[in-house]
Amino acid sequence: MTIPGFIVRNALRNKRRLILTVLSVALSLFLFTTLQTALHLMTHPPTTEEAALRIATRHRVSLANVLPAKYQFRIERMPGVRYCSKFTYFGGIYKDQSQSNFAQFAVDADRIFRIFSEMVVSPREEEEFRKEKTACIVGAKLLERFGWKVGDKITFQGTIWGCDPELTIRGTYRGQGIDETLVFFHHDYFDELMGDRGLVGAFWIKAGSAEVVPGLIERIDAAFRNTDAETKTETERAFQLEFVSMLGNVKLFIGSISTVIVFTMLLVTASTMSMAIRERSREMAILKAIGFNASEIAGLILAESFGQAMTGGLLGCLGAKLLFAHLDIYKLSGGNIPMFPVTADVVALGLLVALGLGVASSIVPARSTIKATVVEGLMELD
Amino acid sequence: MQEPIVQIRDLTKVYGHGEIEVKALDCVNLDIAAGEFLALMGPSGSGKSTLLHIIAGIDRPTGGRCIVQGTNVAELSETDLADWRNTHVGFVFQTFNLIPVLTAFENVELPLLLTSLNSTERRVHVEAALELVGLADRMKHLPRQLSGGQEQRAAIARALVMDPTLLVADEPTGNLDAHAATDVLALLQRLNQEAGKTVIIVTHDPKAAAYARRTAHLEKGEMLNGDGSKRL
Repeated sequence: MTIPGFIVRNALRNKRRLILTVLSVALSLFLFTTLQTALHLMTHPPTTEEAALRIATRHRVSLANVLPAKYQFRIERMPGVRYCSKFTYFGGIYKDQSQSNFAQFAVDADRIFRIFSEMVVSPREEEEFRKEKTACIVGAKLLERFGWKVGDKITFQGTIWGCDPELTIRGTYRGQGIDETLVFFHHDYFDELMGDRGLVGAFWIKAGSAEVVPGLIERIDAAFRNTDAETKTETERAFQLEFVSMLGNVKLFIGSISTVIVFTMLLVTASTMSMAIRERSREMAILKAIGFNASEIAGLILAESFGQAMTGGLLGCLGAKLLFAHLDIYKLSGGNIPMFPVTADVVALGLLVALGLGVASSIVPARSTIKATVVEGLMELD
Repeated sequence: MQEPIVQIRDLTKVYGHGEIEVKALDCVNLDIAAGEFLALMGPSGSGKSTLLHIIAGIDRPTGGRCIVQGTNVAELSETDLADWRNTHVGFVFQTFNLIPVLTAFENVELPLLLTSLNSTERRVHVEAALELVGLADRMKHLPRQLSGGQEQRAAIARALVMDPTLLVADEPTGNLDAHAATDVLALLQRLNQEAGKTVIIVTHDPKAAAYARRTAHLEKGEMLNGDGSKRL
């Protein structure tokens, strides 16, 4: 027998309690990991080298206000700009409202996939998309969801804009770690349907290098200062985080729920460990009597508590990672959640919480065991 | 009498304080020689178990000295005292106190886990101790699979396995039937006579005390003379 073997034997003496404790820690940390992944997705948009080159220009007042399309010519002439595309959120309904939880954007067909180069479209399909004014490119998941095929015609009923574009699917895009549920169609076609009013929701710009991005942001906004439609230009990351802020203080809400989960778990594990050690107070006294010192006794209790919490933590966190990696979240959520990747950071955070639970829940029983004398321990159940 | 292995001088133990102060030991003096088999006797509450606990280093005196093999155990820090107990004292309890999830072998091995012995060396020591108490054929049994007498013999093997200076037993036959009690007392006597172990037992049973070479009587925390009078 070894000391670790002795710890395992002690932990396994009440199997039902052990299983229930480990499962409760596992379920709580599964929930914790899920919530933290949701928060991570909202607050940490994917950052790639390409994303660092992208900036968005929109109306200074809000995303709901539009900009004059003619701004594009001035932006394109600015030093450091490689590509600039119009980008207008259409927000149409496909068949009925319940199925329309995906976004459609009117864009410049010849530039959009240069700017968002993570979206991979076959050269042939991209060429066909460019050539045909009523063509559209749809995300691979969306194509699969509705059973569309290249060549199918789809119509969106406008809710924000007074037009109903009739589009022909000319291709699909795919990409690693990107939203594959969007529809892109020609801004020229949108303008035509809207009567060439020359309005655009926003511009997406790709800079020549990351170094020029800060200066470019300043130059664009300075160029349109004191006009009827002043601009607000920001990096892709800042632009995406703005959507999160529009949802209210989601971070605080998820943070509060996560804290409650962790605190409740701490109470459960601390109570279980206290109960397990209190039942063994006489045995702890025996261990002391045969020569185990305070730090060795504390080590035994800590290791047992740590083992329980980490087993639960590994089950919960890695279980969440495996489950979400194999589930078709897009299909299960009815198209509401395009992807749900549990990152290594979130798993590490969950395991850190499990470690904290293990340590914290051992403090009270370890302290009371160390404090009690051998004689007190022996008399406990006499 | 040989050089005393245990020297107790003016030992006092007081529990509680103020109006609820209880004097468990009052100026007790006692010498125990190496290789002696001593029975501490007295009625309930006489302080005999308290005295044994102090000698074994699991309790501390309020006053006086308890010197075991030249070490005043009361002056040791908690960590040093734990190490001292591991090396110098083998304790046998009334209720056996084996760890229920460990086999007889593993229970006996427990004190050896604190040493630097490897598993092969530990096995040799454990098997020798279990052989000595006549439990070689019960090594893999859990405590619940042993009789009371066998459990107590396993506890004695655990107390012996570190080859301690002192073997102390608090009412070792209190939870045993007459037959098992005789076996356990005979075993303690054999360990004293054949292995030369210094054995101190606490008992209120005169039959158990008869196995010892010497008997010391305590009453209300004070040591009595052989005729029952208080020592001056």
